[in-house]
Amino acid sequence: MALLEAQSLKKIYTTRFGGNQVQALANVSFDLEEGEYVAIMGESGSGKTTLLNILAALDKPTSGQVLLGGKSLSGIKEKELAAFRRNNLGFVFQDFNLLDNFSVKDNIFLPLVLGGKEYREMEERLQPIARKLGIQELLEKYPYEISGGQKQRVAVARALITNPQLVLADEPTGALDSRATDSLLRIFNEINEDGQTVLMVTHSTKAASHAGRVLFIKDGEVFHQIYKGNSTNEQFYQKISDTLTLLATGNMKGA
Amino acid sequence: MKRSFYLKLASDNMRKNGKTYTPYLVTCILTVAIYYIVKSLSLNPGLGNMVGSTYLNETMFLGSCVIGIFAFIFLFYTNSFLMKRRKKEFGVFNILGMEKKHISRVLAWESVYTALISLVLGLGLGIALDKAMYLVINKVLGGESPFGFFLSFEAIRGTFALFAVIFLLICLRAVRQIHITDPIALLRAGNVGEKEPRTKWFLALAGVLVLAGGYYIALTVKNPIASLVLFFVAVILVIVGTYLLFTAGSIALLKSLRKNKRYYYRTKHFVSVSGMIYRMKQNAVGLANICILSTMVLVMVSSTTSLMVGMEGAIGQRYPADVMVYFSPGGPEGNPEGVEAVRTLRRELGAQGERETVYRYLAFPTLRDDDEFVVSKAYALDVLDDINNLFLITLEDYNASMGEQRTLEDGEIFLYSNRGDFDSPTLRLMDREYRVKGRLDSFVGNGIVAANIASTYFIVVPDVDALQEIYEEQKAILEQYAGEIRQVYGFDMEAEREEQNAFCNALRERLSQSQISASVEGKAEARTSFLGVYGGFFFIGIFLGTLFVIATVLIIYYKQISEGYDDKNRFEVMQKVGMSRDEVKASIHSQVLTVFFLPLMVAGIHVAAAFPMISRLLELFNMLDTRLYVACTAICFLVFAGMYVMIYGLTAKTYYRIVSR
Repeated sequence: MALLEAQSLKKIYTTRFGGNQVQALANVSFDLEEGEYVAIMGESGSGKTTLLNILAALDKPTSGQVLLGGKSLSGIKEKELAAFRRNNLGFVFQDFNLLDNFSVKDNIFLPLVLGGKEYREMEERLQPIARKLGIQELLEKYPYEISGGQKQRVAVARALITNPQLVLADEPTGALDSRATDSLLRIFNEINEDGQTVLMVTHSTKAASHAGRVLFIKDGEVFHQIYKGNSTNEQFYQKISDTLTLLATGNMKGA
Repeated sequence: MKRSFYLKLASDNMRKNGKTYTPYLVTCILTVAIYYIVKSLSLNPGLGNMVGSTYLNETMFLGSCVIGIFAFIFLFYTNSFLMKRRKKEFGVFNILGMEKKHISRVLAWESVYTALISLVLGLGLGIALDKAMYLVINKVLGGESPFGFFLSFEAIRGTFALFAVIFLLICLRAVRQIHITDPIALLRAGNVGEKEPRTKWFLALAGVLVLAGGYYIALTVKNPIASLVLFFVAVILVIVGTYLLFTAGSIALLKSLRKNKRYYYRTKHFVSVSGMIYRMKQNAVGLANICILSTMVLVMVSSTTSLMVGMEGAIGQRYPADVMVYFSPGGPEGNPEGVEAVRTLRRELGAQGERETVYRYLAFPTLRDDDEFVVSKAYALDVLDDINNLFLITLEDYNASMGEQRTLEDGEIFLYSNRGDFDSPTLRLMDREYRVKGRLDSFVGNGIVAANIASTYFIVVPDVDALQEIYEEQKAILEQYAGEIRQVYGFDMEAEREEQNAFCNALRERLSQSQISASVEGKAEARTSFLGVYGGFFFIGIFLGTLFVIATVLIIYYKQISEGYDDKNRFEVMQKVGMSRDEVKASIHSQVLTVFFLPLMVAGIHVAAAFPMISRLLELFNMLDTRLYVACTAICFLVFAGMYVMIYGLTAKTYYRIVSR
């Protein structure tokens, strides 16, 4: 059974005075198996972020539904949603979303503290993750004292510390330089190899080339998907950019 | 570039930033108005005439100094909020090619506009309110007002000078801020997280000590006269202590809470403690301002209200009977001709009345040392605390005036005291020892003694000889400072005010015709002047209180807005990492609640601590009814707290609108 199932998702935004209707998602369906690393690509305005928000239960689809582990997100009560997100989903954002009034360590602990865990248990969970992400030295610092790449690693640690079923990443490399991007992508590959399911939204071909499968979204629909299979990152990069070119020039249909 | 360009840009900026600029301008205008009014009151000779001394002017002068300091802090504070919101704008200007000196020039012009608008409108409002106050006081006191319409050029000049300096300093600070930051930092200023504040243990400790010092003075002060000076020392200590505690103390406390891992890593404490550290850093000064303003409002309004409400009691103390005649010093036999002259006039004019008080008394100052009253000429002002007046009358006069049948042997006395306690069974006075036969619950009234702020011990001696003996002995020691034996005659009248006043005037004329030297005091006449004095105080208290409330409202409004913008982002992040909307709302709500009600709580504690001192000060005004003052304070606090909650509720709406947009 698939870990995540998106079934004909549709999202229509209505402007405040009910005038213009904007269709962000027309009809999006896909499955995500456990242990998969999937990238969703698309240009600005293609509906990527809307899709991610719906998958994260931050937003509700106009029609269609999302199943996580066979359970429908729309069936979860408003009150339990936060706890559900906390326990089952990990988030990594483009702009990190670390809170300046917490130290790095407290930022990572935030979901655990919200879940009412004991301090000892938090420490125990933190140690292996911090080692893996190479952030042991940073724990006592504050977000405004560290670099962007470091911040994003801290954000990944925060996403992983709850042992989520699924990590959702929204343009995680968007604010990073190329070295920090490389190191972050390596980290995503490593955690994926450890069995962590990852869903990443990006428009960076390089970031997508690290994933096992890439979904292309255009005008609110899944337009195409390609698998990495046995190709190297470089070969996959080439494949993705070819697809993007076709996508942009509109010759995709029938290909 | 042409000057007109800067002028236009400056005025455009102000218009476009109306949402933040308007409250700032309102703040400036009101501050100027407040300052002008108090300053003009301190210079208003009508105020002096009204009380018959310069006390009120001096109080107002001190008030104007305090308000000047406040204006400074207050405007700097609100301006820093404004500047923070606008840094991005300046960053854009800078990137679009304006040099920093050009931006500074625009800022300078904005300051000039701000200063002009605030001073013109502020002074106008101040002068108008001065006038409005004149009209209201006229109404409250019924007709004859001690205030005339008063336009003080000195006050206008003073206000102008003070605020010109304040606006100049604010402008200089803004220019400095622009110069030391680079354009990128300016662009980002809106969303750059502020650094965590450092713990300043020394300042926190100093705050505790200073506040404790202020409280100690307020709680231990004994003498009302001495407390007038100490009062201001205590006020300043408490203000300084409050600022230190809110800024350094709160951070130190929160940080030590954070060090306690078992406490800190709980869902509830985790978010609120760290949030509070962040909040306190930005809001400490504002909260201290609110706290001090609230304390001032409470103290001022409650004390002036209790004076006003307790006026009848105070008049009763000062004027024991409707008409009191105090004859000039005479011998031990008193002044029977004088008393007879008054009685004759009463019969002639048909001034009816039941109670009649006739007695002779001797009053002189002593230093009390346990059960001994020492008579010495070497009184210094610094031992004022120990000065006690003795007030002696004979048993015969006491029984006659009070309608009692008490008896005394030689060497025995009855004792009554208005403020101090005396528990010893014996009383020593000038090498003589008296046995205290009993303590009295009430005594013949005497306005002259009631007006004296020192404690007085009232003693009934067996006969005239005993009185004469004591008189001669104290006369030998005190010489020109000695007390004299005086005759008092008082009675009540069943007549209207005008009739009573007419009688007093007729009596004065008759006595001077008969060459009898005496002072005549009419309760009805006094009531008018008391109403003038206490009504004036009351009015000023309410007036200043209202203005402080306005200031408080403005600060709270600003706080809510700035909190809102700051929290918006945090609010979103919290939700994304797994806090439900309701949880975030509840957490922010409780933090905001703590932040806003902390000042009110501390103000309550301040008021309680100030209580003994204020009630001493009120004794100066014959306001001895502590229970009344307690009631006034409690009511004022409740009303104020209710208003505070209302203000909070209204501004909280603005806050949530910003946060949840």
